[in-house]
Formats: sequence, C-alpha cells, structure tokens
Amino acid sequence: MILFFAGITSILLGGLGMLVWRRRPGLAAWTFAVLVGAGCALAVVPAIQVLAGGAAPEMRVPAGVPGGDWVFGVDLLSAFFLLLVLLVGGASALYGLEYLAPEARRRPVAATHLLTAFEIAALALVVTARSAMPFLMAWEVMAVLAYFLVAFDSEQADVRRAGLIYLIGTHTGTLVLIALFAFWGQFAGALSFDALAAAAPQLPAGGAMIFTLALVGFGFKAGLVPLHFWLPGAHGVAPSHVSALMSGVVIKMGIYGLLRTVSLVGPPPAWWGWLILCLGLASGVLGVLWALTQHDLKRLLAYHSVENIGIILLGLGIGALGARYDASMLAVLGFAGAALHALNHALFKSLLFLGAGAVQRATGTRLIDQLGGLERRMPLTWAAFLVGSVAIVGLPPLNGFVSEWIVYQGLLQSATVPPMRAAVFAVAGLALIGALALACFAKVGGAVFLGRPRTAATERGREVGGGLLAPMGALAAACVVIGVVPVLVVTPALRVGASIAGIGTDSASEAAAAVGPALQWISFMAFGLVAMVGAGWWLRRVLLRRRPQVWTETWGCAYARPNPRMQYTAASFAAPLVVAYGTVAGVQVTREPGHFHTHATDVVLDRVVFPLWATVRTWALTVRPMQQGRLWLYLLYLLGALLVLLLYLAFRAGGPGS
Amino acid sequence: MKWSVVVSLAMLFVIAPLLPGIAAKTRARLTGRRGAPVLQPYRDLARLWRKGAVYSRDTSRVFRFAPIVLVATAAFAASLVPLDGQRAMLSFSGDFVAFAYLLALGRFLLVLAALDTGSSFEGMGASREVTVAAFAEPALFLAFVALVLATGNLSLGGALGGPLSQAWPGAVPALAMVTVSLFLVLLAEGSRVPVDDPATHLELTMIHEVMVLDHSGPDFAMILYGHALKLALFGSLLVGTLIPRAALTAPLAIAVLALGLVVVAVAVGIVESVMARLRLNRVPQFLTAASALAALGVILLLVG
Repeated sequence: MILFFAGITSILLGGLGMLVWRRRPGLAAWTFAVLVGAGCALAVVPAIQVLAGGAAPEMRVPAGVPGGDWVFGVDLLSAFFLLLVLLVGGASALYGLEYLAPEARRRPVAATHLLTAFEIAALALVVTARSAMPFLMAWEVMAVLAYFLVAFDSEQADVRRAGLIYLIGTHTGTLVLIALFAFWGQFAGALSFDALAAAAPQLPAGGAMIFTLALVGFGFKAGLVPLHFWLPGAHGVAPSHVSALMSGVVIKMGIYGLLRTVSLVGPPPAWWGWLILCLGLASGVLGVLWALTQHDLKRLLAYHSVENIGIILLGLGIGALGARYDASMLAVLGFAGAALHALNHALFKSLLFLGAGAVQRATGTRLIDQLGGLERRMPLTWAAFLVGSVAIVGLPPLNGFVSEWIVYQGLLQSATVPPMRAAVFAVAGLALIGALALACFAKVGGAVFLGRPRTAATERGREVGGGLLAPMGALAAACVVIGVVPVLVVTPALRVGASIAGIGTDSASEAAAAVGPALQWISFMAFGLVAMVGAGWWLRRVLLRRRPQVWTETWGCAYARPNPRMQYTAASFAAPLVVAYGTVAGVQVTREPGHFHTHATDVVLDRVVFPLWATVRTWALTVRPMQQGRLWLYLLYLLGALLVLLLYLAFRAGGPGS
Repeated sequence: MKWSVVVSLAMLFVIAPLLPGIAAKTRARLTGRRGAPVLQPYRDLARLWRKGAVYSRDTSRVFRFAPIVLVATAAFAASLVPLDGQRAMLSFSGDFVAFAYLLALGRFLLVLAALDTGSSFEGMGASREVTVAAFAEPALFLAFVALVLATGNLSLGGALGGPLSQAWPGAVPALAMVTVSLFLVLLAEGSRVPVDDPATHLELTMIHEVMVLDHSGPDFAMILYGHALKLALFGSLLVGTLIPRAALTAPLAIAVLALGLVVVAVAVGIVESVMARLRLNRVPQFLTAASALAALGVILLLVG
C-alpha cells in the first residue's frame, strides 16, 4: 500500500507542479511528465503483484466521521481496474501536455493538467476504496473534475450544454448511489465494504433493492442504454486526451461498481442477470447503430463506447447467471470476459480518441466528411488508428478478438446449463454488433485517412509531433501484445472472475486449463497470419520487380478527371444500413436532386429526456408564483408549515404522548 | 498430423477456382448458351498472375496489402474446417468465432482498399458489401449455435467431425433448417444471385465486383482466388453439415467433399439461372429470413 500511496502522491505533486511553476511552462511540463509518469509506474506495482498472485494489501485509517474506519486495499478486482486506470490515465495525461500546448496563451492549460492529474488520483482511489465514505467522496471528486475537464472549451455553447447534461446525468447517478449505501448501511453496523458484505444475507429479497439501485447508479456512469444520453455529448466535445480518459477509464468505473456489488452481495437474482444481458444487447446494437449515423469523429467514437459497454454487460450478465445457477465455469468466464473487455476497450478506445485528437490538431476539424487522404500526410497516426480500428471491431490478431472470444465462449457454453440456455441467442446479437462495428470503422478509416482530402485544410494536414505519437504508440503496442500473447492477461482475468463470483481459485485454474489450449492456438494464429501476410508481401514484390507498374487515375468509367468531391461520402456509405433500421437509428434523411444529407439525433436524449424535462419545467412554472422573493411571504409559509405540523401532532391518534 | 488433413486442405486450395467455373457453366447451359470452359477461372488466374499492375495514384499501402490479407485469412479459416471429415488442422474451443472473424478481417481490408481509391463506384460497392455482411453474420452465427447445441461441441473441427452424424437422426428438421440457412449465407458471402450478380456489366448494379475495380494483375488474381476460396469454404461448411463423413475412410471422405462442392456449385448455377437478383433494399429481408430459419433451428434444438 505504501507504494500505491507514494505513487498517488507523486501524481498529485506532478499536478501541483503545474501551479507552482506557472511562469515557467517548460519546467512545469517536465516536472508533470516525470512525476505523473513515475507515479503511475509506482502505483501500478502493487496491482501487478496482486494479479501475479501476491497477497492483497489493505490499510485502515480511523476517520473520525460517521460510517466507521476508512479502508483502502488492492484485491484482484481493484488491481485489474487499477492497471487500466494507470496505464490509460498515464498515457492520456502525457499526451495532453503537447496536445494542449498550442492553446497555452488563450486558455487555462496548466489548470487542466492539474485537474487531469487529480482525476487520475481520484480514479485510483475509487477502485481501491474499501469503505462507502471514501468511495463516494472519490466518486464525486472524479465526477466533478471530469465536468471541468469536459468544459475546457467553455466559450462554445455546445460544450457548455454537453457539460451541463453530463453534470445532471452524473449527479443523478451519485444520488442513487448515496441511496444505495444508505439503504445497505441500515443492515450493517458500519459502512466498510467488509461490514456491508457481512450484512448481505440479511438483505430483503436477496438484495433486489441493492441490485436495482446499483444498476441505475452505476449504469449512469457506465453509459448503458437508455442511461447513456449524457455520454456522446460530453465525450465528443472534451479535449481529446480527456475524451480518452473518460471513454477509456471513467465509464469503466460503472462496470467496476457493478462487479464490486456482485462480489459483495453474492450471486444476484436471476432476473437481474437476464436484465443485464438484455441491456447489454440493447446497448451494443443501438450504440453501434447510432455510431454509424454520426458525422463527428469523436461523437462516433463516443457511441462506440456505449456499444462496448454493451459487450462488457453481455459478459457480466453471463457471469451473474452462471453464479446464480451454480455454473462456476460460466461465472468465471463471464466475469473474466467483462473485466478483460473493459481493459481492452480502455486501451483501444483511448488510442482511437488520441488518434482523433491528432487528426483534429492537424486539420482543425472533427467532421468526417471534410477529411480524407490523411494516410499520406500522417502515416504514423494512421498506423495507430488502424490498429485501434481492427482491435475495436474485434478482429484477430489484436486484443479485441481475445475478450470478445471469451464472451462468445461464455455465451456458447450457456447451452450446457439448462435454465440459461436461452442466452445462446445473444450470440447472434454479438455477431451483429461485430459486423456493424466493422461497417462503422470501415467508414471512419476510409473517409478520414484514405482516398483524397476533401478540403484545403485537410490537404495541409501534417504528421503530429512525438509527444502525441509516443502515447499512441504505447497503447497500440499494448493492443498488439495482448492480441498476440493473450495468456498474459487472460490468466489474471480469470482469477479476477473467480474472485468476483466468490468461488475459489480452483475454478479459475479449471477455467484456465479449459481455455489454455485455445489461447495457444490464438497466439499461433496471430503469428501465422503475420508470417503469411509478410510472405505474401515479399512474393508480390518479387513478382512485380521486373514487370511494368503503371500509376494512373482511379477508374471512373473512363471519366479521366475525378475530383475529391466525387468520392463516396461517409454519410452515403452508412446510408443503406441506417435506412434499413428505420426509426430506431434516429436519423433524419434528406434526399434532393444532387443532394443527400443525414442528420443524426439521439433517440433517448431528443425523444425522451428533453420532452420529460419540458414537462417537468411546465409543472415547475405553475408553482413558481409561490416564490415572490418577499420576506413576509416566506414568514407566512413558515407559520403555515408550523401550524400544519402542530395540527398533525395534535390530531395524530389522539394527541401527543399517546 | 494425419496426411489426410494436409491432402484435403490441398484439395480445397486446388479445387476452389473450379467452383465459379462450374456455376458459370451451369448457368450458361440452362440459359441455352455454351458458356466458357469450366477451367476458365484457372486460365484467368494464370494470365493475371503473369501481368504487371496498374495502380491509382490515390491508393496507399492498404490497397496493396488487402489482396494478400484476403487470401491469408481465407487460408487460415480453411485450416479450421474438418475437410477430411475427421479433424481440422487447427481446432480449439470457440474456433467458430475465429472462422467468421478471420473472414471479416479479409473483408475489412478489402473494403478499406476500395475506399482507398477515392472512387464513388468502389465506395458504393464497399458500402453494399458491409451492409450485406451485417445481415449475413447473425445467420452464420445462429447456424454455428445450432451446431453447438446439436453436438455439444464448441469447435468447428469437433462439431463437424464426428458428433454431427449422431445428432442428425434426432434433429432432422432443425439441422435441415440450418443447412438451408447456410446455403443462403453462402449465396450472400459468395456474392451470388439473388444478392449479387457476378455476371452483371453495369458498375451501378454490382456489389463485390465494383469494389475491386481498380485492382489488376497479381493483386486481382489474389482477390479472385481469395473470393473463390471463400465460396469453397462456405461450400465445405454446407457439405460438412449435410453429409457428416466421420465414418468414411479419409480418401473417400475427401472425394465426397469434392463431389459435394461440385454439387453446391451446380446448385448455385441453377439458382442463378432460375431467379433474378433482388432489389438491393430487399437483400436485408432475404438475409433476415436466413437468420430466422437458423433461429428456428436453434429453438427446435433448445426445446427438443
């Protein structure tokens, strides 16, 4: 624990350095990079020790506030999420240094770095807190700091609006979480997680209330459909490294919370598992469908976070049902798949957001249909983005395939447990999600990086500097390593899965033995594929060495003067799929001669949340005349309230004292 | 590793270009023409292989990598199918997913290559390709689920190898539905009528063909070969599901597979000559029907 807190202190100091050396930005940036980097490296050591099989450290602090001692600890579940927080958090924070540098004169850049460092520290505390009070405090700090980070470009109206919607969303979630712990605390003496877990058997209806509140409270943070409405806006408008941090890490705290709840209460009721499975399918399919309709690169990526939360929930649902029906193998596979996909999604989604940030820096726009042809101009960014795309679509030989394969494994194996056999239908859903994601990333890669530049600004785009490329390179390397040698992370993930399910490490080794041979084949397949493609490339070169190679215009049915505007646009590319899904996709299509336009709306935000808000506002307006701002009126209200109370006491069952 | 695994794989690699030839010949004969020789695809491949290449100035490395990845992924996917009726070269729990996703990787690169040219025709083809794939994928996976349910085996090599022959007698309706569904998926993935028409002349009406307009020479040969291999792969899934060959000796099993593939190619040719291709906005309905069939099969297996 000492190393962990030393690391956190170092991260905080790195952030404060920004404030101390405000007048010397070079020195401040240097201190920030060293201290935050070292802090992440230090704090990740205990996590790796625990995942490698070491003892789980714990620390108790007598707090002197209600709710009992404050406990911090790193167990398997914490360690896994701590790894994710520090890897992605560190990469994003370092990327931010160079990313924000051009705006240093106009905006409070130093303060943003400070908040980023504090955000990472808060995230690390959320996953290590072992008691409700510090957990909720770290949670709230995380949520509020994220608001300030999102609202960086606060002079733009859409940024302020997105920030406000985020703040409302996250606070509603926090409110539900406070209710959760208050309710739970009634049955336990103290608010430490140990005490709460000990009180779990006394919970009414098998903890139905706890699981419902957790689903809503943590669901808001995770951004599952229909609680996702705040997510695309906030993740879309934030500075790119903040989007990476939020999509990669912050929303995973919702997943962490759900997993933690399951590990504290024990096997959830069956309906909860099925509900999670259905929500997972809905989030996955709708998330990717809505992503297809987007025109803004970062909003598109944000909707893909909704999709991937769906895939994580599929794993979580299988795990929950497996735990309920005493199928230990399924419980382990499901929870491990959820945890592993959370890690993988953190890696490739932050990579993609950082890539999108590089594109925005180089060209000044995020609109997909204004980009194009960046492959020539930004080859390294494109390479990193391509790795991220292949990974997020779940294709071999990268990390996305590994975790999706484990989730598939869980779904297919549910056929062996009679009460949960219907879960095999989710396989078709996951297949649909995968195919739609492929369509979406073909659209992004093709429209942004390939073909020809669609505007002059895009034409002028140049490769970004090493300070942006290095973090992207590190994240891409992590995606490749996990994809090629999956056993490195799958074994710890299975142990995490077993710990969540509350079953011994025996079943983890059992599951590891079951998937072990497959993992070797997956490694073999990855290497073989690379070798074959390499051999093919060599063969092609040898073949073409002595032959004529002609460079000419793209074939346009003999039209010899193609121009960039003749390219297929991203909107047209997505149109057949979007139109086939009709109103569910929430897209408005305009077709005129010579003009095709699609406008994406958020089905939940625009058709449910805003109308609901308008209704609430109307009601509020009818009672507004009560508030006149006159003192005598409020005194009258007070008097009236007192009178009503006194009358109530007087007439309650025959008067006071009876 | 048994010799029969290697031989059957080699047989598939050799026989793959024959299938489009047979389908084209069948179609020609049924429509009263003589048609090109059955071996024409081999000649095309050989001629393309000897040629130089023409590239669009707008293309990048993705464009040149795509054909290689297409062939490599299809070859790897082939190693997951038990072609000699007993075992596959590579087999692991959940390799269904690897099979489908390897082919998806090939498609992803090919679609990117199409967009790389900046041509509106190829963009259109790419858009249609991913649309068709998005509707075909659930049907394919539901068919896999049915195979898992019928055999209790989580790998392609295992399920199609031995256990399926025991499963057939008890689940004829379900497995028949799955077979039909697999055939519909084959038509879609192989870019065949009624989803796509390999013989159309107009860029605007093509799907797969228009996507590869700019490829030439050895690159185009690889695309033609990779695509033929994909058709042969779905064909061998179909034959493997319909005729479990675990009880046969290896040479006989391989011969039956070859014969089965020829029959599949003829069937494709017959379909092409008796029906027109569907309007593009009908294709999703067609493939949803395939999914529904497979889903019915799964339901029958679940309640049975």
